[in-house]
Amino acid sequence: MQVIKSPKVYPVIVIGSGAAGGMAAWNLTQKGAQVLMLDAGDKFDRGKFWTHVRPWEARERRAKGEAPQQFFLDTKEQPYKVPEGKHFDLTRVWGLGGKTNVWGRVSLRLSEMDFKAAASDGWEIPWPISYADISPYYDKVEQLIGVCGGDDDSETLPGSKFLQPAPAPRCAERLMQKGAKSLGIDIVAGRRANMTKPTRGSPPCHYCGGCGAGCDTASFFCSADHLIPFAVKTGKLEIRPNAVAARVLVDDKGKARGVQYFDRKTGAEHEVLGKVVIVAASCVDSTRILLNSKSTAYPNGIGNSSDVIGRYLCEQIRLNAVGWMPALAGGPTRNDRGIGGEHIYLRRFNHKAPHKRDYLRGFGVQFWNTGASDTGAHNGSETIPGFGAALKTEIKRRHPAWVEIHPFGEALPYANNRITVGGAGEDRYGVPLMTISYEVGENERKMTEHMADTIEELAKASGVELVNYKRGALDRNGSAIHEHGTCRMGEDPKRSALNKFNQMHDVPNVFVVDGSSFASATEKNPTLTILSLSWRATDYLADQMKQGVL
Amino acid sequence: MISNEDRVAASRAITRRTALRRVAAGAGITATTLWLNRLDLLAQDPAMHTHVAAAASAQAAAAPFTPKVLTRAQLESVATLAELIIPTTSTPGARAALVDRFVDNLMANAQPADKDRFLTGLAWIDTRSNALYSKPFTGATPEQQTELLTKLAADSGHAAEDAPGVPFFTAIKGMTIAGYYSTKIGLEQELGDDGQLFNPVFVGCTHPEHQI
Repeated sequence: MQVIKSPKVYPVIVIGSGAAGGMAAWNLTQKGAQVLMLDAGDKFDRGKFWTHVRPWEARERRAKGEAPQQFFLDTKEQPYKVPEGKHFDLTRVWGLGGKTNVWGRVSLRLSEMDFKAAASDGWEIPWPISYADISPYYDKVEQLIGVCGGDDDSETLPGSKFLQPAPAPRCAERLMQKGAKSLGIDIVAGRRANMTKPTRGSPPCHYCGGCGAGCDTASFFCSADHLIPFAVKTGKLEIRPNAVAARVLVDDKGKARGVQYFDRKTGAEHEVLGKVVIVAASCVDSTRILLNSKSTAYPNGIGNSSDVIGRYLCEQIRLNAVGWMPALAGGPTRNDRGIGGEHIYLRRFNHKAPHKRDYLRGFGVQFWNTGASDTGAHNGSETIPGFGAALKTEIKRRHPAWVEIHPFGEALPYANNRITVGGAGEDRYGVPLMTISYEVGENERKMTEHMADTIEELAKASGVELVNYKRGALDRNGSAIHEHGTCRMGEDPKRSALNKFNQMHDVPNVFVVDGSSFASATEKNPTLTILSLSWRATDYLADQMKQGVL
Repeated sequence: MISNEDRVAASRAITRRTALRRVAAGAGITATTLWLNRLDLLAQDPAMHTHVAAAASAQAAAAPFTPKVLTRAQLESVATLAELIIPTTSTPGARAALVDRFVDNLMANAQPADKDRFLTGLAWIDTRSNALYSKPFTGATPEQQTELLTKLAADSGHAAEDAPGVPFFTAIKGMTIAGYYSTKIGLEQELGDDGQLFNPVFVGCTHPEHQI
């Protein structure tokens, strides 16, 4: 088939429209640069968000043949292979704004301890930046996107002066704060990119709890609502929808010259030319694009002379525990919807005595579905014995009293936890598919024990009766949806693919600005840091462009 | 590429991914065997909350309904079982909430082997009821029905003749809970959800005894 080409050379091509790509396009267009954005999907239709559709209404509408906006990419459209005996569940959103349409919104700053972890414990490479390098960007990002939170500040979770008011905790959250305190552990206000004040033209959160279906009032940060429209307004951004990027193209001097993509609707092959390429397709898809970008200059993928691209995949480990608080049972059913997630956060505490143990790095704890569920009886109700009026009475009694405790732990980077291309077949466009080979190691197993102890101690201290509890049963690999590390930044070009400005050591006109650039996963949710890194990298890029270097 | 053991693990854990994908769904259910887990996950899937009339209103209940999988007799068995599990009290029970239609739709979307096991369980209930009371389950008296379910609901010590019905009971109990409590009757009338989705402020916990 004929390749569709245009002679136009864009100053910058951005692959991806989520947190990383949206920020890159926003920042560069504010600074006057022309940007072409390749997005693998379309803009999602807010009219089809079922944010406020109750379960029975959903049944009614589905019976009429309606369906809500589908955000998640069907794996059948873009499969991947997992070696026998391993598992990895990949969640992708192809469409304007990417995963920020439905993300969990938890926005935690990495700390100096995180950036210096490898320097102090010797496991793999340290980050090439420190907290001081990124904290001005955290300040700016928090103000831009609207993050609510408290006034806490610690060495594991740096404080901020730029947070919007945190919503009050629910009853069970208060009781767990009390319980944790008796263990010498702090549970602080959660930090989430839900706007609790009017922000940049969006009304504040109306506490419907339906964030996971997409926000009908754009009251949480989504790249498609809060970055891209502002970039479009500059007149400098061109968005090409349904453009599935396949490869970064290279000229005979080894510099990137553009991007090959396939039209998701027609299958047609296109080439677009650019002076700079920013790869921001989310960790795993970016990695596949880079590894598939093979040339004489880069036989194992563009910018991969170090052979680190694809390696060191880190995905946080998680445990789930469900329980209920007898102290709250039988009380009135409260409206516990809130900001669509927990209002509290148990920050990392294992870095010092008496909590320190014999493993590296740490974990924090999040809490889902606290209090009365607004979608049905809580998960766990089926464990109540018996049937009949007594069962019905007990389900109602426990309804306001449920809690879920979810530790998130850092997974160390291992060279063999990796994404590869080749040998896994080809996608519908003839581009090689990937294999994701991932497993947790001994350090993670030790950490899991500590996470389980923490669940049990916290439950005991705060009066939670756990149900269906299986100690140490880790969630599926990939289910944190926090992939990191497969195109990491670092000082040493032999051990990293990117420099401290997310620029490829090997190919100066390629930047990779999503979670793949992280040198370590940490226990924290990555999006706030992705936004900050992308802003910082594109500040640097804009300077380089102004100086005529790029 | 995914091992059987992984599938078991997957169905046990309500993963974050599953949670994301079942935002609008009802309760989660965890059971002990693979086929039950698969049905449980299906019961939580928002996409499965379909073809069940809204809010079990009188109008909806009166509207013509054509089951997709279950026969009329099976539908009646399911409705009877569901009503025994979540009965009418001061609020309507599972029958009024049309849990039978919810289960019919689940079966239409279940893997064939899981559906077969469920239908085998439904047939077993009649066989056992016939053996005990010389009547199919729906023909037995409410006392007899309760007596039989009490045997199946016991934590342990099941008689050998009752053992085949135990996983079936677990399955229909989980489906009944998922179906009933995600209706307007279950969530608002019974559990007292205020249905308020526009909340200018979030009050949170104000109990002095809960504060740090």
